[in-house]
Amino acid sequence: VVDQIRLWQLENERMQTTAGFLFKDFESTEEYAALSRYAEEIGVLVWKNDKRQLFFASKHEQLRDYLKSRKKGE
Amino acid sequence: MPRAIRGVLIQCEPAIKSIIVHLDSVNNDIIIEDLDEQTLVVKENMVQLLKQKLEDRLKETYRPEEPLADSD
Repeated sequence: VVDQIRLWQLENERMQTTAGFLFKDFESTEEYAALSRYAEEIGVLVWKNDKRQLFFASKHEQLRDYLKSRKKGE
Repeated sequence: MPRAIRGVLIQCEPAIKSIIVHLDSVNNDIIIEDLDEQTLVVKENMVQLLKQKLEDRLKETYRPEEPLADSD
């Protein structure tokens, strides 16, 4: 049992998991920059890579709404 | 419009990540996107299986001389 617990701890320290959504295939750098900035502002941004224009967010509803309103404003 | 793909972000050591990549190479049914050397996105329904397989792999790595214990 002790071994089991040790293994479990080891794995938890070594691996962190977060459920959410991967955002990709942006139409432009501006679109990526605006949405990733907004995700950060509302506290749902978990991980991002500016070079590859990809980010991971824990929620997507507000981001979807933000994109829609951005489109309307164009 | 960008795409939002549902999944689970895994942040881990490169050694753990390489095990996951290896496990995925069998059926290509685990990884959604390989992000960098310590980060990837996997299918939500594969996380439990993945943890189980990683645990098995870690057991093998840390105690290679011990035979598999009988379930009692």
